[in-house]
Amino acid sequence: MSDAAASSPLARRAISVLRSGPFLTVLIVVAVWIAAGLTLAGFGSYGHLRYILELAAVIGLVAAGQTLVIIGGGIDLSVGAILTVTAVGVPLLAWDADTSGGIAVVAMLAVAAGIGFLNGLGIALLRVHPMIMTLAMATFLQGVLIIVAGGSAVSMHNPVVAWLGDARPFGVPAGILLWVVVSAATLFVLHRTPFGARVFALGANPLATSLSGVDVNVTTMAIYAASGLTAGLAGVLMLGMNGQGYVGIGDPYVLSSIAAVVLGGTSILGGSGTYAGSIPGSALLVTITALITVVNASAGWRSILFGSLILGLLLLSGREAKSR
Amino acid sequence: MSLDLPMSEQPLYWPVQRRRSRGLWPLFCVVAAFLAAYAYLFPGLLSIGGLSKFTQSWFPLALVSMAQAILMLTGGISLAIGATVSLGAVIAATTMAGPLGVSGGMALVAAAGLGIGAVCGLIVVRLRLPAIIVTLAGSFIIGGAALLILPRPGGQIPGWFSDLLAGDTPVAALLLALVALVWKFYLATPLGLSLYAAGENPVAAYRSGVPVDAARIAAYAISGLLSTGAGLYVAAQTGSGDPVIGQAFTLNSIAAAVLGGVGFLGGRGTMRGALAGSLLLSLMINVMFFLGLPPVAQYVAQGLIIIGAVALPQINARGRQA
Amino acid sequence: MSAPIIAARNVSKSFFGNRVLRDVSIELRPGRIHALLGENGAGKSTLINLLSGALRPDGGKLEVDGVAVDRLTPPGARSAGVAVVQQELSLTSQLSIGENIGLGAYPRRFGFIDYKALARRARAVCAMVGLDEDIATPVGDLPLGRRQMVEIAKALYREPRALILDEPTSSLSAHETRALTQLLARLREQGVAILYISHRLNEVMALCEHVTILKDGAVTADRELAGVSADGLVRLMVGRDPGDLFPPWEPNAGGSTIVSVKGFSSGMAREIDIDLRRGEVFGVGGLIGQGQEDLILGLYGAQTASAREAEFNGAAGVPGSVLKANGLGLAYVPADRKREGLHLIHPISFNMLLPGLARAHALGARDRAAERDLSRSLAGRLAIKGDLARPVQALSGGNQQKVALAKWMPSAPSVWLLNDPTRGVDVETKREIYGLLRRFAAEGAAVLISSSDTPELVHLCDRVAVMREGRIVARIERAALSEEAIVSAAMGANLPENVA
Repeated sequence: MSDAAASSPLARRAISVLRSGPFLTVLIVVAVWIAAGLTLAGFGSYGHLRYILELAAVIGLVAAGQTLVIIGGGIDLSVGAILTVTAVGVPLLAWDADTSGGIAVVAMLAVAAGIGFLNGLGIALLRVHPMIMTLAMATFLQGVLIIVAGGSAVSMHNPVVAWLGDARPFGVPAGILLWVVVSAATLFVLHRTPFGARVFALGANPLATSLSGVDVNVTTMAIYAASGLTAGLAGVLMLGMNGQGYVGIGDPYVLSSIAAVVLGGTSILGGSGTYAGSIPGSALLVTITALITVVNASAGWRSILFGSLILGLLLLSGREAKSR
Repeated sequence: MSLDLPMSEQPLYWPVQRRRSRGLWPLFCVVAAFLAAYAYLFPGLLSIGGLSKFTQSWFPLALVSMAQAILMLTGGISLAIGATVSLGAVIAATTMAGPLGVSGGMALVAAAGLGIGAVCGLIVVRLRLPAIIVTLAGSFIIGGAALLILPRPGGQIPGWFSDLLAGDTPVAALLLALVALVWKFYLATPLGLSLYAAGENPVAAYRSGVPVDAARIAAYAISGLLSTGAGLYVAAQTGSGDPVIGQAFTLNSIAAAVLGGVGFLGGRGTMRGALAGSLLLSLMINVMFFLGLPPVAQYVAQGLIIIGAVALPQINARGRQA
Repeated sequence: MSAPIIAARNVSKSFFGNRVLRDVSIELRPGRIHALLGENGAGKSTLINLLSGALRPDGGKLEVDGVAVDRLTPPGARSAGVAVVQQELSLTSQLSIGENIGLGAYPRRFGFIDYKALARRARAVCAMVGLDEDIATPVGDLPLGRRQMVEIAKALYREPRALILDEPTSSLSAHETRALTQLLARLREQGVAILYISHRLNEVMALCEHVTILKDGAVTADRELAGVSADGLVRLMVGRDPGDLFPPWEPNAGGSTIVSVKGFSSGMAREIDIDLRRGEVFGVGGLIGQGQEDLILGLYGAQTASAREAEFNGAAGVPGSVLKANGLGLAYVPADRKREGLHLIHPISFNMLLPGLARAHALGARDRAAERDLSRSLAGRLAIKGDLARPVQALSGGNQQKVALAKWMPSAPSVWLLNDPTRGVDVETKREIYGLLRRFAAEGAAVLISSSDTPELVHLCDRVAVMREGRIVARIERAALSEEAIVSAAMGANLPENVA
């Protein structure tokens, strides 16, 4: 029989936190940082770690929507294309009356959410498989982007976006602040609202969810719209940090966002997980990428290292053990 | 009904095969309609040369669709198909003109495909990791390996070999028929037919004595072989290798399999359906090309067509239900 | 007496520190039909899994032909001649009947499946179980009852020496059940050892010679069946008198009509006229698959439905969607609770709260304290014990069904639609569910229950409509309710008026 300590709710809660995916991922990130900081000159400096977090913010934003979608039993392979749409669209949308640039940003975020909503529409109403729907959407957007923007990069002169990329209120980069706000909102929605509960239910058993009176179609459309929105936000942040947008800027974020979600302990099968894991998952991915860059290998080796490390981390955590 | 054969003498194999095509007739009709439209736009199709050329443009897609369909039948999926195609292409382009020669190169391509597939399969099946993530990570490793072998487009396929496979010959058509035949034979073995049981209900299949793990790992290995084979063919078509040439095949293989009625959850669908799906996709791309759409607009149209084609049966089904 | 083909001696098994079997012994002897009885959660499935090698015992040992085996694996059990017909169907829907029957044990020729030999042997076993469909038919095309027969044929194909059947008749029609009974009697003559698990006591009484009863993981009886009454068996299973299985029936008619449909059609259900009154339990009987499920799903708005006239709780027209149906006070409890009713991986409390969360304001903050109080009070009312944070899949079948009912109780539905709510549920839980349903009715709700268990309809309902081929073929009022009346109407043999 279990001992007294384990049966007290507080102790049980503490144990479950210590054993949880998010906490393990945080441990891995910290361990990697310490190891890299001791061995690589400059890695552990405050400036470098802050830079890593800034980059992680982009993945983290994309992963916020991706987490919702994956917990809801889907997958969004169009986040890269949506990110590119805002990163290219905001500079193209500049006009004189919009002195702050805010209107362009808001308009493009609405477009991003709209694209996500269309994904949800196809998946919920036309019953197209999420992977097909979002991949086809990505293909479609890629075509449109090339027609609209061509192959060259577009520079932006948008004060709001520039502020987001450069400013450091209270010494913290604005991008990281944005990430904190979005994280808080995502965690609240997932774990503290009826909508979040519906997403968890949807991912575990869509039929039972619909028979329990949940409007499954609306919930599906909402999570994909949210995914579009956070990918759009990431696009704006990316544009601010880069100064220019180009076709293909968002491509790496499809894998990164999914990997961040899965490394954070969320089940790719849907129904269980938390954004609290995707946050350290994002930081872990950027750290890996940074380490690979330090190693200064060729493109081929970088790609191999990246894939192997993700695979290795997955094996290490081994959380997705499917029962059979 | 009133056959004279005694009951125990009635055959089983062919009735089963016939019934397996059931439900695919609408798809076959759509494919036939597209073929007719294409033949109308491009009358040259109705000659040995025209048919050869068309089969050649379809062949790699047909192979990768089969590669994807096998996995989907077992309840898996691969997002590394494109990278594996690229790897097959660069191996062929860097070895065939060298000391290993064409046969040595082919052996290497086949070994690479089988090996990569088997490793992916082992990781997914034995370590019970989700296929999407493993193959997504795998696509980086395999793609990276392709970049290492051939950092930028180059290499060479011996001219005679290119001509044999992709010249003015119906070799592609013959090869496709051969692959389909081999598949039929494979499905007539206990291991091959186990795919369906292993995909639909692995626990029950295991308890019935089905070699579930072996069937799934074999599926991954075959899938890898078909993918590098497609890469070899693509290299023969262009006469050289390109480390990123396969990228588009990942999406297209999934789209073709789904168009052909193969389900994502395992155990649903047929290889003939997947082949018909890939033919349909290939025809669409060709028709768009002949209508003079710019390559970029083809992206747009392709995205729309895939969604439409996948959604239409759903809408139809619901219309019938009402 | 000859040695048992397979036997367990003092086996024990625990899951996560939870004792499921304690010192259990059982012998499967050739030429004997042996019943294994027990409530859900008593450990029957675990015992079967030990005998078929799917699980390993923590203590005790297994014997094959009187010889102890170190470790019994599924292939080992198969080669010892043990075949199991599982409760959960193990068929592959896209493969044909023949290919399913031979699955995992195909005859081979040059490495290929020998389809000729397969066809011959598959037809032979199909003939034995009375399956007359073409064996090239894909299993996915068959109704549930026929699939169960394929499952049995699949076990016979392996020419078992010991055959274990786990609730084989749960989805069989009366006709199919009779065929199965005859088959088992023949197998007994041939010296096969048969272990028969069923919740239907009359079947067990008619068929079996020996019985082992499990209660809470321990054997409470291992004896000849002769000389034991059905009531005696129930006492041994639940440790109580079975007389109070059904709550006392009190006339409760005269309530106002709450649901009224005329010319209602949905799926297989055609041209149905029904009035549901407050305070009554309305039964829908018939053989399995006669459109009862379509009727319920159609009323609930979960599938397309039409009606010439319809009124639900004062609103005209059929609901058309689950959301509208819920808004009109309808609740639905499915037969297949794992697929349609529950979120197995989620906590018990989550499942209980979901219908409420479905109606709440989407982005409002959840009140955790109120939710906890609510789920605790529900668990208390339904006697669901233990930590409510456990996933529902940790519960036994009966308790899962209680959760599937409990989730609707906070919204106090005025119309309950239940599809076979006691399928595969143990006696004790059945009793609780019957009590609940009568109470809902007494509190003013209308309860519509479809059931394949005829005694349930007779003892529980105020009125029963019997369906056959999608239509209502008989309506039986309380005074005329009897098992004979329902069964004869269901079989279409003669109208209930003509029944003696």
